[in-house]
Amino acid sequence: MAEAAGDGQRDFAFYFRDAGITALMTLPIAFPMFGFHLIVGGRGGTSAGYGTVVEPRLIWVLVAVLVVFVGRFAISFLRNDPAVTAATERSAIDMRRYMSETIAPWIGTGLLSVAILWPFLPFVDRWLLDLGILVLTYIMLGWGLNIVVGLAGLLDLGYVAFYAVGAYSYALIALNFDLSFWQCLPLAGVIAGLFGILLGFPVLRLRGDYLAIVTLGFGEIIRIILLNWYEFTKGPDGISGIPRPSFFGLPFTNQEGATTSFHKFFGIEYVSTHRIVFMYYLILALALLTNAFTERIRKLPVGRAWEALREDEIACRALGINPRNTKLTAFAVGAMFAGFAGSFFATRQGFISPESFTFIESAIILAIVVLGGMGSQLGIVLAAVFLIGMTELFRELEQFRMLAFGAGMVAIMVWRPRGLLTRREPSVSLNDTRSGI
Amino acid sequence: MSSAVLSVKGLSMVFGGLVAVDDVSFDVTDGFITAIIGPNGAGKTTVFNCLTGFYRPTGGKIVMRAGGREHRLERMEGFRIASRAKIARTFQNIRLFPRMSVLENLVVAQHNDLMVASGFSIYGLLGLKKYKRAEAAAVDKAHAWLEKIGLVDMADQEAGELPYGSQRLLEIARAMCTGPRLLCLDEPAAGLNATESARLSELIQHIKKEEHCSVLLIEHDMTVVMNISDKIVVLDHGAKIAEGTPEAIRNDPHVIRAYLGEDDDEPLPALIAADLEKEPREHP
Repeated sequence: MAEAAGDGQRDFAFYFRDAGITALMTLPIAFPMFGFHLIVGGRGGTSAGYGTVVEPRLIWVLVAVLVVFVGRFAISFLRNDPAVTAATERSAIDMRRYMSETIAPWIGTGLLSVAILWPFLPFVDRWLLDLGILVLTYIMLGWGLNIVVGLAGLLDLGYVAFYAVGAYSYALIALNFDLSFWQCLPLAGVIAGLFGILLGFPVLRLRGDYLAIVTLGFGEIIRIILLNWYEFTKGPDGISGIPRPSFFGLPFTNQEGATTSFHKFFGIEYVSTHRIVFMYYLILALALLTNAFTERIRKLPVGRAWEALREDEIACRALGINPRNTKLTAFAVGAMFAGFAGSFFATRQGFISPESFTFIESAIILAIVVLGGMGSQLGIVLAAVFLIGMTELFRELEQFRMLAFGAGMVAIMVWRPRGLLTRREPSVSLNDTRSGI
Repeated sequence: MSSAVLSVKGLSMVFGGLVAVDDVSFDVTDGFITAIIGPNGAGKTTVFNCLTGFYRPTGGKIVMRAGGREHRLERMEGFRIASRAKIARTFQNIRLFPRMSVLENLVVAQHNDLMVASGFSIYGLLGLKKYKRAEAAAVDKAHAWLEKIGLVDMADQEAGELPYGSQRLLEIARAMCTGPRLLCLDEPAAGLNATESARLSELIQHIKKEEHCSVLLIEHDMTVVMNISDKIVVLDHGAKIAEGTPEAIRNDPHVIRAYLGEDDDEPLPALIAADLEKEPREHP
């Protein structure tokens, strides 16, 4: 049927039937999701205390089914048009080359400029500034996970565990030993890195799905320990009163204290957003550090060994590359950056609890890496802006917000099944060996 | 030049109840090209995997002499056999790093030297001159090998995009970039046409003469084997049935029987024909 359409003839009956089946499949999904509307407290308040009333909304179901029918029909119509298919394939190859060689550097520079100027752009209010911090946090986590998943090819579903270790390390060290943010930051990174090695050891011989399951378990173990070890972590109550970072010793505070505060030192009015702007630049700097580190280490023997390990572990062993050390460094370095991001998270929130470190966080970070095109630094930025930004922008959609998140993922996977940016620049080239480092 | 670089003594490998390699002993003479031949399932690749650490042999002793020391391969971890005992190998089904560039494949092979030169990444991260020089030297070495196999123009392409024959040559060049004393080639001529096989023979002879590296190869292509080998070891059903120069092997009755034993078209030497008469034939 579909093959028959290849001769240039269109099999409309087939498209019609195909779209019909798809629409029919939508029905059982849409019916319980859109079909009813719960009204708490009764109708219009006239009969208060009646309890919850279910209002059928069959028209919504109908709309959903129609949208799917038309969409499916359009997709198969366009897919099976030989001219369109050929053109898309050609343009996809051209586009990819054009994107990676011409546009990508410009997008990178453009995004960096916007990121640097973001707090001073006229339309950026407090909410958009917070959104910027959130997106940058995910970009940093994505870049960190990219070392493990994108470069070394180790599928890690428990990355959030290291984020949690970093956050709790910072909170506990800062509160118990009275150390400043700048002293705790490297410590948190090192502790998270050690946890990376701790996870790395038992999973050295595992790959692919098996590795994913164990890392998933590891993530849950860390969360459950945080939840249950009440004496140490205060369990579900969380840790509050985590110290805020200071501007190299100058606290952002309006209270009179022993130390000179930021606004007094510079002789300016106290504005509460100064701290937020500082936070923004802090996470921007941390994220850029992660990026610079990754770009550089990719061109070092360790980085190349990671990529070789992703490509073929057996060949690596035949070349005398120690697979154990190579994997452990990948886990440790990836975890270290999650640790940095975690301590930033703790100091920004001022309060942490195990609830912030659930599996869905790992899944979102992994989705950013995969959708960005495993291994591509810029792709991760685009995916993070797209997924996190879009989810937040659609916050007004309330219960349909996650639907937007899902739609975003589906859209990327349909449009670019291998991720947004897939072209990989060689780490070394014959013509300009020196430009590498 | 007649000392043995590799000595295999009484090597056995048993999988469950199956004896894949049974008490095999042979030497690889320094500076020689030694071939292991035998019918399908004779245990050639198993011997290779024991030598290169992919299997741990059930019994026997494997001694490799490199860097003025004797290495007992049957006790070493796989990756150390390449890095310390200086044995490099290629695979029957090519194992390149397909999404890395041709040049990167050759630079990765020099990992251990570069790792030391980069101060285990510290000098490299700081961007010190010392590491830059080491990397430039590694690229030069890779460049030299690309010239030998004629792939300089494709240096920046993905290795997986190369034609099959070029991939075979690249895999050999990559193995040579580790600086081995012994190169083990697992069916290097498989899937190559006559021109490519001739080119391969040239490359192997170049490795023997110019790179001072002994070669051990498994091969089915008898033209290649008979042309380039200094010594041939014949395996059948996991046991060694003959060993000697190509001429001696060509005329060895055991070998002829192992290869042609059940073939009526070929006229057999009288000795073997008489021998065969006594045994009941499985496939009349």
